[in-house]
Amino acid sequence: MSHNALGRSLTARGANPVMWPAIWLVLLMVCVWGFPYADGVLRVIEPDARQVVYQRASLASLLVQHLLVVSAAAVITTASGVLAAIVVTREWGRNFLPLVAQVASLGQTFPPVAVLALAVPALGFGTLPIIVALVLYGALPIVRNTLGGIQGVDKEVKSASAAMGMTGWQTLCQVELPLAAPVILAGIRTSITINISTAAIGATVGASNLGDPIIAGIVNGNMAYIIQGALTIALLALTVDSLFERLQERLRSRFYTS
Amino acid sequence: MALLDALPSPRMSWRQWRPNSVLVVLLSVLLVAVWLFDVVSVSPNRIVSGQGAGLVEAVGWLGALLVSGVILTLVLLSLQPSRQNYQVALVGVCLLLLLMPFGLMVASDRLVSSDAPPARLNMGMAYWLMLSLLFLCWIELRLRLTLPRRWTVLMLLGVAIVWWLCAMWALEALALGQEFRARDDEFWRALRQHISLVSVAVAISIGLGLSLAMLMRRYANFQKVAFGVLNFLQTIPSIALFGLMLGPLAWLAAQWPLLSQLGVSGIGWAPALLALVAYSLLPMVRNTYIALEQVSPETLEAARGMGMRNSQRFWQVRLPLALPVLIEGIRITSVQAIGLTAVAALIGAGGLGAFIFQGLGQAAMDMVLLGALPILILALIADAGLGALSDILRPKNTVPPGEAQ
Repeated sequence: MSHNALGRSLTARGANPVMWPAIWLVLLMVCVWGFPYADGVLRVIEPDARQVVYQRASLASLLVQHLLVVSAAAVITTASGVLAAIVVTREWGRNFLPLVAQVASLGQTFPPVAVLALAVPALGFGTLPIIVALVLYGALPIVRNTLGGIQGVDKEVKSASAAMGMTGWQTLCQVELPLAAPVILAGIRTSITINISTAAIGATVGASNLGDPIIAGIVNGNMAYIIQGALTIALLALTVDSLFERLQERLRSRFYTS
Repeated sequence: MALLDALPSPRMSWRQWRPNSVLVVLLSVLLVAVWLFDVVSVSPNRIVSGQGAGLVEAVGWLGALLVSGVILTLVLLSLQPSRQNYQVALVGVCLLLLLMPFGLMVASDRLVSSDAPPARLNMGMAYWLMLSLLFLCWIELRLRLTLPRRWTVLMLLGVAIVWWLCAMWALEALALGQEFRARDDEFWRALRQHISLVSVAVAISIGLGLSLAMLMRRYANFQKVAFGVLNFLQTIPSIALFGLMLGPLAWLAAQWPLLSQLGVSGIGWAPALLALVAYSLLPMVRNTYIALEQVSPETLEAARGMGMRNSQRFWQVRLPLALPVLIEGIRITSVQAIGLTAVAALIGAGGLGAFIFQGLGQAAMDMVLLGALPILILALIADAGLGALSDILRPKNTVPPGEAQ
């Protein structure tokens, strides 16, 4: 109980949480559409460069590509991760439970960069290997949290649902999953935060996304490029993360006030 | 009593036979994989992709039958699970792991002609699958046998030593080894850089984290703000934070020549270290805070009753009791820092990540492996080592509160 209270204070940001997603989103939009016209401002940072506005692709299209890759990976990871965790917590799949639980926690020690790097020799350059690497790595926190959430459901509650005549499927959908939802959502949040970051590193293996301006900036020694990429991607991460925080708040309040 | 106990048991009585389906599945996949995919591939030089070779081609009929025989025996053993059979199976899995480098030797003997020195042997799809599936089997067996951690670590160490010896002395043709020998000075330097960057960052964050956690325990308002800021930092993608550190540091170094004499500049170790510490603080502070908070008030009261001063209570009671959770924090922080330092290579901080990004740039996959595999191994070692340390330091809570020691 005290842990829960601590967890809540750990996520508190001080201000009204409703506002944060909107604030980050507005700032993100300002960045995406403002930078092409911010020649003068960027010139201050990098006075000697031939070009200060990143022009190989528009930030908006890079943002869309980044979001596409991350959300494709997120949909696959969430579906497969939750499914795997459900399978191994059923009576007939229980044999696999120890192994899956162990792998889900051990796998998280693998650095995402190393996973990405190892995916390239196996799968080649481009967007597809990145999605595969993101899926492989991103599934782990979801599996782990779903397992934790389902196993955390009180035995008595499950007994009660069985006594009410619920079938296994009904117990799963109406008791176990709703009760585990906050924990599962936390896992999805972790997974997506990691994936936004890892996808950006994917720019080094030939995917074009928001990592591109940063890499181009580092290669050419152009600080202005780096700032455009870094600010946009940081704001994207903050927008998504704060959205999830809102979702978690809402789930929590639904559970603890009713 | 749980209500379920009163219900009829779902387990049917005629179903006495319960094979270990996990091992059966894993080993069957393994058996299919070694016959279906390329075990090794031979390439004439570094960049050209290789010519694949199947199991029979690589190790001959005798070797292929030996491997399949061992795998089939393991399948049979896992059909009749018992403690004894699991032990035999564990020996079998270790045997296969030990045989794998010798398989490579045989393959290099058969496939790589000695008069073409730049030709190199790559491990193929089936080889990697075999390695990972055997590792999974090994984890499964370990869990079923509930072996203590040090035994399993010793066993893996033994296997690793055999692999290392084979790679060093007998496998000239192996691509990874060739890549290593071509730049071994560079490799050791990168490894040293990597480890020192990680350890300095972790050391700084331990110091900072401890002081921040103490401040938080004193001032509740500070706690809210600090966790907010640290959470915020953690959310920012690593590559963006590394990038954003470049500018301010370059500016600082330009303003104060003393700093640039110390080696601080926009590119290199300084921004990397700053970003690493920024990332390390959240897990560090969070665990330190929880560790210090969870010490039971009764224990502290008892210490006060014994006449301990405040500082004594902190150093002799609170800190030792908090140590396991604190070390758990150091474990999470170190594993994370090992991975992030790889990204830091992008801003010229060196380390093993440099091999990854250089290799990706030159499309030389062996070089990528040369960077990625040691990073993986370092992370696993840090995880296992610090996890074991935290286990050792955890006080045995077997003495009930009534019985004093």
